[in-house]
Amino acid sequence: MTLDRRLTLCAYALFIVAIFAVPLFVDEFGLNRIAKFLVYGMLGIAIALSWGYAGILNLGQGLFFGLGAYMLAMSLKLASPTSLQQGADKPVPDFMLWNAEPGAPTDLCCINKASFLWLPFQHQSFGLVMGIALPVIVAALLGIIVFRKRIEGPFVSIITLALVLLVRLVLVDAQPVTGGFNGLTDLASLEIFGFEFDPYSKGTYWLVASILTLTLVWTRLIVETRAGLVLQAARDDQRRVRYLGFDVSLYQTFFFCVAAAISGVAGMLYVIVAQFASPTFMDLAFSVTMVVWAAVGGRASILGACVGAILINMMEAGISETEALVGAWKAIIGLVFVLTVLFLPRGLGGLLHDLIGRFASVGRDKRRVAHVPMSGAAVTETKEA
Amino acid sequence: MIDVFFIGLSLSSILLLVALGLAITYGAMGVINMAHGEIVMAGAYVAVLSGIWLKTSFYVALPLAFLAAAALGWIIERLVVSRLYGRLLDTLLATWGVSMLIQQAIRLEFGLTFLGIHIAGLGSGLQNVAVPPELQGVVNIAGLELNAYRGFIVLVTVVLTALTWFIMYRTSLGMKVRAIIRNPKMAAACGIDVRKVNALTFAYGSGLAGVAGVMMSGFKGVSPDLGSSMVVDGFMVVVTGGLGSLIGTIMASGLLGETNALVAVATNDILARAVIFAAVILVIVLKPEGLFSFKRR
Amino acid sequence: MNVSRRHLLKAAALGSASLAAPHIVGRAFAAEPIKVGALYSQTGNLAVAEKLLANGVSMAVAEINATGGVLGRPVEVVVEDGASDPKTFSEKASKLIVKDKIMTVFGCHTSASRKAVLPIFEKRGAMLFYQTHYEGFECSRNVIYSGAVPNHQLGNYIPWIVKTLGKKKFFIVGSNYIYPREMAKVSKKLIEAAGAQWVADEYLELGHSEWAVMVKKIKESAADVVLSNVVGDSIIAFYREFKNQGISQADIPICATVTSEIEIAAMGADYAAGSYTSFPYFMSLDMPGNKSFIERFRKFVNDPKQVTYHSLEAAYFQVFLWKQAVEKSKDLGAEGIRTGIAGQSYEAPGGKVTIDADNLHCWLTPRIGQWQADGQSKVVDAYPHPIKPLPYFAYGETESNLFCTSKGLDTAKLKI
Repeated sequence: MTLDRRLTLCAYALFIVAIFAVPLFVDEFGLNRIAKFLVYGMLGIAIALSWGYAGILNLGQGLFFGLGAYMLAMSLKLASPTSLQQGADKPVPDFMLWNAEPGAPTDLCCINKASFLWLPFQHQSFGLVMGIALPVIVAALLGIIVFRKRIEGPFVSIITLALVLLVRLVLVDAQPVTGGFNGLTDLASLEIFGFEFDPYSKGTYWLVASILTLTLVWTRLIVETRAGLVLQAARDDQRRVRYLGFDVSLYQTFFFCVAAAISGVAGMLYVIVAQFASPTFMDLAFSVTMVVWAAVGGRASILGACVGAILINMMEAGISETEALVGAWKAIIGLVFVLTVLFLPRGLGGLLHDLIGRFASVGRDKRRVAHVPMSGAAVTETKEA
Repeated sequence: MIDVFFIGLSLSSILLLVALGLAITYGAMGVINMAHGEIVMAGAYVAVLSGIWLKTSFYVALPLAFLAAAALGWIIERLVVSRLYGRLLDTLLATWGVSMLIQQAIRLEFGLTFLGIHIAGLGSGLQNVAVPPELQGVVNIAGLELNAYRGFIVLVTVVLTALTWFIMYRTSLGMKVRAIIRNPKMAAACGIDVRKVNALTFAYGSGLAGVAGVMMSGFKGVSPDLGSSMVVDGFMVVVTGGLGSLIGTIMASGLLGETNALVAVATNDILARAVIFAAVILVIVLKPEGLFSFKRR
Repeated sequence: MNVSRRHLLKAAALGSASLAAPHIVGRAFAAEPIKVGALYSQTGNLAVAEKLLANGVSMAVAEINATGGVLGRPVEVVVEDGASDPKTFSEKASKLIVKDKIMTVFGCHTSASRKAVLPIFEKRGAMLFYQTHYEGFECSRNVIYSGAVPNHQLGNYIPWIVKTLGKKKFFIVGSNYIYPREMAKVSKKLIEAAGAQWVADEYLELGHSEWAVMVKKIKESAADVVLSNVVGDSIIAFYREFKNQGISQADIPICATVTSEIEIAAMGADYAAGSYTSFPYFMSLDMPGNKSFIERFRKFVNDPKQVTYHSLEAAYFQVFLWKQAVEKSKDLGAEGIRTGIAGQSYEAPGGKVTIDADNLHCWLTPRIGQWQADGQSKVVDAYPHPIKPLPYFAYGETESNLFCTSKGLDTAKLKI
């Protein structure tokens, strides 16, 4: 085990201990807020995976987040007491009656042309499964088309961007089925085996923290597999990897799907914590912001991107709640983005790594310092293999 | 049918006004400038302020906005973009931050609200730009009733496009720019001051955005977020047309604008927008190099 | 006393004694201040509208403090920024309620943001004061709705358009979200009841500013009146395009439910001259309190040209209704507000307003204004008195058959 690898392991351990120690120090509001930030941290992981490791800058990551969120929210909407108060015997989302044509039946199956789509969501497990399945299916379809055609760079970004805006448009327009611009609100709390996940409870926080930890460790492990190494090689030189006989598009699609699944889970967790789903999840601004989180934290480092997302959101909360800065906080955040990209191209993760590297390599060969964490790990792996 | 074509033409013109500047900065210089929309917005504010402060007509705002936006673009290039050449996606992120900064600066009247100072015309309110009477209402051309303001937009777009073409293909500056597009290192080796030409090109592209802003201010409300939706449309046009191809950008904006008008007339505006998004995705998937691009390098 | 640093600075810059006074008075209060929240967008695309609402609330609080506060205690406004994003609204709402333990929040503008924060208010037993005219279909016991509901805006409007203007064919157009769609639904019923017809019911994306095709459709539809439920920025582009395609407001007037003084000022008064809007409040109202309200607000925001409009007036007067409610019940909690505010009246800038004891909405006076060349409206029709709010008007709610009462929503009546 190299020093690099040991330090990286230390950082992961430290982070995991830190997030599990949070409930010792904060009140219920703090728990809820940090749970939200941890969800954003998962988005950071998804971005780091697709951008840092696969070289695919997805400007529409919000699509997968939104899909995951809506799938679970649909289930929780039907479980909400408000859905039982709409004059029908079975649950019907309130906004459907709102939008119904006069004289339409009040049954979920046929209140409008597409309301039958909601029927399976009466089972909460269906919503939970679809929250991962739908983002993965969409990502797979998109990946197969895009990566087989060997589309890369900014073109992939523009496709994902156009797609998220397209879906958002349709979602808002299909108001009778989706709740339109208002989104899905007034949701029930998630209930698993009789345990209710109240958004302000410790239980919910544990849930989010555990899933984040699992995601973090698991993502870290899969990028170190052979598939992960092929992917990184393809990021640096696609043609060479192709000549070596690898079907690059397959690897890209796979990791694109993994990133989509992580985002979908993040979307579901957000719904559990914030109790609503909104088409603004698919705003361009949100998707770009995620990318910036990852850039600030360090796009090439899974932990860095995750921590970056959490830190920026903490900073935003802190600045926007400072009374004198309530109007200026967005300008300050904008400035931070600009400065980070200009002066810390590898983000905070990169900076920290350089510092540690310099500190650790006093009197040793300086060239070791140049390794970014995972390429260091990659080198070791290859040697072992 | 002709009126639908005319509507399409005016939509294309608006798209092209925004995309022209992007075609230069993105297509030619490899900078994804997310703050382009904010430069458009700044141009619109020049129209607002020149109305209030100078009491000048709408027409005078056009050159003023060009100069002000070009200056703003020049500053952005020198301070931010010039440090990021060759890092395409980083330009996207950094200029995203710049766009947040500009938007909020205008909203806070450059921070003067903190000092209790209020600049009439700036600030969070919706602003009003007075349009000269001859540009309101309709004009009759060959028995056709045409919207005068839209006619003016088309005219301005044609003039700016011609001007851009002239600069790019008939001046020495344009030749230098094209040389840098093809191969910056070789261009530098031939004695072209790449730094200077880059800054000028970026400023010119921004100036075009400023003029676009004035034109926007004549038919929609001027507010700090005027430009934020525009940059996406601009990029779609540039990518659809093919990077680095002026003619491609022109054709793509024509295509998307006319498609938009036709679909909107046949169905509705929401569907038309969806069709545009879908069309852009389809074009990139089928022809990633753009509809009208030439092979480079 | 602490309205927000910005306003105090402004007040100081103005040297205005009336505004600086609360600051001094604030110091003189011995008692612990009562904290209330103001949750509006200070940034993002909705800041244009919402910042002014926040200012309306802040000004009301400053005036209340200048006259001795509430229950002898000063009021402190905690301003939070919703950033035009329901995610932020929800987070800041829980910050105000769960962390700061603030029981009264004035805030939200769009239905989307209200819907996103509502569950927090209901679960935590806090009270939201919501000033914007909205689509109804809500019967929360944790919201005081001080703005208009569809029966205020449309109840007399549609019959008036048909009878007085003699219009027979309506073209209904709106932004694509819940409010315009609900307004369209109510309108259609009323239009048919009045013996007229509607020829189209069209929508545009929120924030859409390209009206060429829609106006062309209006031109070709043979409609003789346009009912506009368009919101925000789109309004300006709409009226301008309308004139630019050569349609005269005299031939096909735009009758709007959202277009207010603020949009008229932004588009240029000549584009709107001759069109109509239905609102309970207009800046032009010749009321004793209104002139002074306009003047004080202009001074407060340091803009001599600032216009006032319905939502702003409601944002302002709702604070006084809250004050009266808690002073009546001597209880700052949601239950105290609820019981205290039922039937509470206040002489607002636009006349008397009363919170309904049944549904916690507001009794308002429907008025129809015609926009003039100076950017102000001329009230061409008005109710002689405020009328009862009916949030379920679209579903057949009447004064004698209430759906939403102090016991909550009677779901049995809610058959479509």
